[in-house]
Amino acid sequence: MPVRKWMLTRRVLGQAGAATALAAVVGRPARADRPYRIGALNPITGAGSTYGSGMQKTILFALEEVKRAGGVDGRPIEVYAEDTQTSPDAAVLAARKLIDANKVDAIIGTWSSSVSLAVLPITNEANCLLLHTSSAPALSTPAQNPKHLAWRFQAASHQIGDAYAAIAAHEKASRAAAMAFNNDVQIASVGFFRSAWEKAGGKLPNPVVYEPNRTSYAAELQQALSEKPDFLVVSGYVPDTSIILREAYEAGNTAKIVIPGWAMGPATVKALGAEVLEGLIVVDAVPDAGSAAFKTFDAAYRAATGNPGSSNIYAAMCYDMVAVLTLAMQKAGPSADNAAIAQVIPEVANPPGQAVSSFAEGRKLLQAGQKINYEGASGPIDFDERGDVTPVFGVSVFHDGKLEQRYLLK
Amino acid sequence: MSAAVGLNLAVAGLIQGLLIALAGLAVSLCFAVARFPNAATGDFMTFAAYAGVAAQAWTGSLLAGAASAVLLTAGLAVASYVLVFRNFRGRSLVAPLIASIGLAFLLRSVLTFFVGFDQHSFHVPIARAIVFAGARVRPIDLWLAGTSAVTLLAVLAVLFLTPIGRRMRAVADNPELARASGIRARTVMLTLWTLIGACSAVGGVMLGLQTVVVPEMGWNLLLPAFAAAVLGGVGNPTGAVLAGIALGLVQALSTPLVGFTYQTAISFILLIATLVLRPQGLLGRAEPVR
Repeated sequence: MPVRKWMLTRRVLGQAGAATALAAVVGRPARADRPYRIGALNPITGAGSTYGSGMQKTILFALEEVKRAGGVDGRPIEVYAEDTQTSPDAAVLAARKLIDANKVDAIIGTWSSSVSLAVLPITNEANCLLLHTSSAPALSTPAQNPKHLAWRFQAASHQIGDAYAAIAAHEKASRAAAMAFNNDVQIASVGFFRSAWEKAGGKLPNPVVYEPNRTSYAAELQQALSEKPDFLVVSGYVPDTSIILREAYEAGNTAKIVIPGWAMGPATVKALGAEVLEGLIVVDAVPDAGSAAFKTFDAAYRAATGNPGSSNIYAAMCYDMVAVLTLAMQKAGPSADNAAIAQVIPEVANPPGQAVSSFAEGRKLLQAGQKINYEGASGPIDFDERGDVTPVFGVSVFHDGKLEQRYLLK
Repeated sequence: MSAAVGLNLAVAGLIQGLLIALAGLAVSLCFAVARFPNAATGDFMTFAAYAGVAAQAWTGSLLAGAASAVLLTAGLAVASYVLVFRNFRGRSLVAPLIASIGLAFLLRSVLTFFVGFDQHSFHVPIARAIVFAGARVRPIDLWLAGTSAVTLLAVLAVLFLTPIGRRMRAVADNPELARASGIRARTVMLTLWTLIGACSAVGGVMLGLQTVVVPEMGWNLLLPAFAAAVLGGVGNPTGAVLAGIALGLVQALSTPLVGFTYQTAISFILLIATLVLRPQGLLGRAEPVR
């Protein structure tokens, strides 16, 4: 009876299809009555898994906090969680599912530039907001972000490049050199380092661009060290940076080495040991540990994960994403669309205005018609005209097997 | 380019080449005797590296770690033959090829399920390099080069100097004729897969010692390994070894011309050019048409 079975299946499918179509027509009330839907799209598995579940838990408890404070007036919020697997392919599928099936209005917490770059065209097309933690310059160019729907909560490449130059000046470097992993983010950040350093009167030979998955970077290192620099920036990721640091030690390198914070993890320390890492400089965007928002975030993060909030800067960024988004929704009013919400994001996050450190505080002032300036857990959260924040960088030095924070770059 | 830079590039290229040669030999052996390209070779190497790290952590000895890695990976290779590849005997090469890709994904997923994506590493004393006529040589590189050269020679010796090697070559030449003259396929296949496992294991441990142990490490080496097997002449193990070493050297020595970014491209251009001029590969012979 295969024929009858098939017809039955088709009839059931047809009915299901009709029901869906009906739901699509009837089930779309006016925007104001409809909940605002947020997609928490984070790297639960893959290379970003160290940070991803903390980020997602933060989004959930931050939204819970908003709810406890009374919520956004006239705008209930729903949240849907998905995993990017730290892979652009999986992230695109998940973003499609969030937008097409869950009908989300905003996607927040994408990590790693390749993932955010892959998701951005989809969110733009659907007029969906994208709040991300990625550095690639292309994420905030007018061509890629024409409707100003994407907002960056992480340092952009040019800011990281400037930070390298500031560290070189602070360390009184006389000859600098740079190596970059072959992708646009890392090449861009050492490029910005070069221009900032040369603007300040220094000189830098062509940065050495290296390929992933090589068995040895000895030759690359030799070229980078050929002009006997006393300051070397190595801009890459955890596996390649581990190999380069070991080979630099083996080659008897004397230059001070600087790496970004995302290029080292607990495994690096275990693999290389205290002697190889001694004197290594690590730069990373750091949360402002003294701020009120950080203290609230830190307590909730400890309760949710058992780890200190300072262990996950990206979770602090997610906390700020929820606060900024909900404050902007509150300011824009219950019937505002995403264009209107995006327009007021700088108005609630940037000066001038009364400094606030939580949604609860900001909501009261907004209800009273006052201007506010949200100061977040991951930094002061002030956006420039492209939608990029200006983060605070912490500079740490490896000493006796431990990373010690030495100074801040603001 | 100064002489010192050239020497250093040659040293780096030789080490990389020996590694590609080990992986290429594992691929070529499988192709010669079992008659399919084994895409799980890379993940055998990854498995070996993880097994070695675990055994070293457990026993505290690098030698014991490496030896356990060889034994366990040989066991894995034999098991994959008994459980998977044996069932495809007599089928076209597409079926076992697809099965080997599936096995590769399965191995990696099982591995990451249990140990995650974080990098691991062997514990080796980190020492300053020895400077020798301007070339910097790390003590560990000498060990690695020696070990892989011995492994390569040992496998080729088994293949060309022992009775079981002769039987393997007979099966590779003409399976029907080999069966007709009373060669037992079972013994030949079990020996073959033990050799493939051991070869992959030495390569995997060597790669892990030189770099770091991550889930994709072996998979990333698969393309150069296939290239070496093809360039050497499909199914010609000696050719695969020579081609692997040549690929490593050419990649490294082309750096002054094309930079670090395009050295891989250069080696593949060379591969294509060689195959255009000599379609059967360096040491291969043209397939007779029956």
